[in-house]
Amino acid sequence: MSQLLNDIFSFGDRPFSERIVLIVFSVVALTFPWLVESAYARAVMIKFLLIALFGLGWNLIGGYGGQVDLGQAKNVGFGAYATALMILHWHTPFWLTVPVGIFFATLESFAVAYPMFRLRGHYFAIATLCVALAWKELFIFWDWTGGARGVEIPIRPTPDFTFMEFGEVGYHYFIFGLFMAQFLFMNWFRKSKLGYQLQALRDNEDAAASLGINVTGTKVIAYCITAGLGAMGGSFMTVYYLYIDPDLVMPLDLSILIAMTVMVGGAGSIWGPMIGAAALIPLDMYLGAWLAGGGHYGIDFMIYGLIIMIIAAYEPKGIWGVIERVTKRG
Amino acid sequence: MKGAMLLQVQSLVKEFGGLVANADISLEVRRREIMGLIGPNGAGKTTLFNCIVGYYKPTGGKVSFEGEDITGWPAHRVARMGIARTFQNLKIMPLLTVEENIMVGAFCRTSDRGIAIREAQEILELVDLAREAHVIPTELPIASQKKIELARALATKPKLLMLDELAAGLNPLETKEIIETLHRIKEERNLTLFLTEHVMEFIMTISERLIVMAAGRKIAEGRPEEVAKDGRVIEAYLGERYAEGR
Repeated sequence: MSQLLNDIFSFGDRPFSERIVLIVFSVVALTFPWLVESAYARAVMIKFLLIALFGLGWNLIGGYGGQVDLGQAKNVGFGAYATALMILHWHTPFWLTVPVGIFFATLESFAVAYPMFRLRGHYFAIATLCVALAWKELFIFWDWTGGARGVEIPIRPTPDFTFMEFGEVGYHYFIFGLFMAQFLFMNWFRKSKLGYQLQALRDNEDAAASLGINVTGTKVIAYCITAGLGAMGGSFMTVYYLYIDPDLVMPLDLSILIAMTVMVGGAGSIWGPMIGAAALIPLDMYLGAWLAGGGHYGIDFMIYGLIIMIIAAYEPKGIWGVIERVTKRG
Repeated sequence: MKGAMLLQVQSLVKEFGGLVANADISLEVRRREIMGLIGPNGAGKTTLFNCIVGYYKPTGGKVSFEGEDITGWPAHRVARMGIARTFQNLKIMPLLTVEENIMVGAFCRTSDRGIAIREAQEILELVDLAREAHVIPTELPIASQKKIELARALATKPKLLMLDELAAGLNPLETKEIIETLHRIKEERNLTLFLTEHVMEFIMTISERLIVMAAGRKIAEGRPEEVAKDGRVIEAYLGERYAEGR
């Protein structure tokens, strides 16, 4: 038990400073709704937490496993639709819809994983993208899921724990709690047997197999765990927006944003998703709004693209790679 | 199964398209011996290794380990059976530390992180790399990287250790050191060794028995000093005219 706690709360080479960073981050996140009045700033904070949360899950297959999955939005969609449809049709309590979403996402991923992992590198990335797009089209044309019109969840008049409706501030704390839980889970996971086996096959598949690692099997398991984490995030996203449609929860943009967040922040690093989301989300939401307000649509995307190009060209390990280099020199 | 025979290869054939890389190879490796495999470039040594450990599926023939037929098994199952191997061109996990590289090997037999760490530290001590435990392996010299591969293979607790050109690229001093290390780990871990090599001093010193391959065939087998005098072996290495002139 104490070993487990130690694994969960201890970090890398700089355990002390990394713990300090985590505490400072927690304090900021916990006091945020009190200190900041602006509804827009609160919305930015929640979007940051959500994307960082999706990034944490994607980091498992994309960062530690090195398999560039460009279809994570499909899993977000499974979670979102499971929650929205069950609440709408059967008044199922929110908490019971979460495992259902996870179940379907994991099942679907298990079914498609084996043929997909016969492909490698770019071809695997293309396959994940195609599967995600196919699911999105299906949801657009499927009447029971509301088609392109989407699904609206009835708004409750009073705060309601069963359906997870208690306004922006309450939601902020829930999503922060979920983020921290997943962050600590990932910190444990990367040091577990499966975590190390995944990193080993990312670095060298032949060497991994010679050490008794079932390369394809390990990839399939990691892909399914990532799917489950994505679906869980999708369920929580749904009760925040209270409205979903395929363009909102399953688009290609979301898949790419999730992958990009982790790569910009630092794939295969526990801090990567958090750093990436902190760099991209405020930029996107403030710069985009400001420029669009002045009639300059699209310039924010150019700046966005430029940042990604600079990082891809100079530091493949993302912003975390830069931090690591600077602190090592010091 | 506690017979004297650990590994048995019967009439193994491996073809790549029309090219025959291994033709009708049979051999046996006995428990606790050091078996060497030599041959000129392109003789098919690495192909034979790869067929045994499951990187290639043999075109024909049979491989058995401790009496069990393992022909065509995938590499990870062969590893779990108890055959570990090192690679001719190093295949180290570059983003993991030295200790973590070896822990991955140890995770072949345990799921407990604490046990894996202890196992890794023990083996690092054994191959004299304990001081480099938390270094990134690619920052170390080749000789140390070879030791990491050796240590990593050892961490899977093998019965048979197959070393593909372990001494290639090492200077005489490093070669001597690795021979000592091999003898030490063989005694301590009760191992059987099967190795291929280009460096003659190395393989002649360490092997108890030797197999010679040329052009995909086995041409000789025996104790190192016998094999060295064999006409077919001299011919394979130095050419027909040299052998005739002797």
